[in-house]
Amino acid sequence: MKGSAVKSVLLAVLAGALVSGCATQRYQWGNYDEALYQSYKDPSKVESLRIRLEEHIAAMESGKQKVAPGLYAELGTLYLQSGQAPRAAQLYAKERDAWPESRNLMTALIGSIERRSAQAEVKP
Amino acid sequence: MRRLALSLCAAMSVLATGCATRPPQDLSAFRSAAPRSILVVPAVNRSLDVDAPNYLLSTLSVPLAEKGYYVFPVNTAKVVLEQEGFYEGERIHQQPPADLARLFGADAVLYVTINRWDAQYALITTVVTVDFDYRIHAKDGTRIWQASQRMQYSPQANNAGHPLATLIAAAITAAMTRAAPNYLPLTRQANAQVFILGPDKLPPGPYAQ
Repeated sequence: MKGSAVKSVLLAVLAGALVSGCATQRYQWGNYDEALYQSYKDPSKVESLRIRLEEHIAAMESGKQKVAPGLYAELGTLYLQSGQAPRAAQLYAKERDAWPESRNLMTALIGSIERRSAQAEVKP
Repeated sequence: MRRLALSLCAAMSVLATGCATRPPQDLSAFRSAAPRSILVVPAVNRSLDVDAPNYLLSTLSVPLAEKGYYVFPVNTAKVVLEQEGFYEGERIHQQPPADLARLFGADAVLYVTINRWDAQYALITTVVTVDFDYRIHAKDGTRIWQASQRMQYSPQANNAGHPLATLIAAAITAAMTRAAPNYLPLTRQANAQVFILGPDKLPPGPYAQ
């Protein structure tokens, strides 16, 4: 009886490790991958992806924890696509400052937002 | 506890590779390229499921970042490529890796080809299969790593009574139904196998050191 309880705990641990790929997690992802999948599966779920990322990033920042690579930029892109370019540029800047590897891409994306808003201002 | 987890990992990788004896690939080119960042581009799709590339894309960031690399935000990269006129995996894969790496400022580019992404229904059994080819090119264009992985899942199969094999089935059964097979658990397993567990696993990235 006791043996079988131990065994089932072992099996549960093993199953957990199997699913997580044995990785001790380096980052917290806040279900980003699952929410991204859902948004591809059903485009009406893009808004839940945005909310998910927003809440997760806020929780990480208030806990002074490092936000996983890419998450600021992914949220930025959702804002860019919904026409909120200034908010997108802020998030791209956060990605750039958190991850030096992203500098080139983020600088290019911010530059393109700034050029577009400058063009919009010259228009009569 | 950590020891136990390690030995379980070891047991599982043996299980998943079927005790393969093939020598692991030479990673010296990978080590000398020493990429810090990886750009994941949309996959080439040889399956009949048009959604497979997007679904696959959603599973690739986590294992690569957990391995210690900076992974470019996959959806952002996809949107940028679309703005550059690249919608199809086929066309993106035809671009020189060095050009893609330069466009994003990436040290390396991961290409995945989906060979299988299907569910075959028979009278009693259903077999769900995913099969991927993976390759990574450095920013100078040279291929520095490659792997292939097929994963199959058959809920009703009699899996020879092997307790670990039974367990693999049990771990993913919850996420799958016969009516609407969910390929993600299999896909995540395939990714974990090639990047983290298998004989060709990637060396740890800069954030893992």
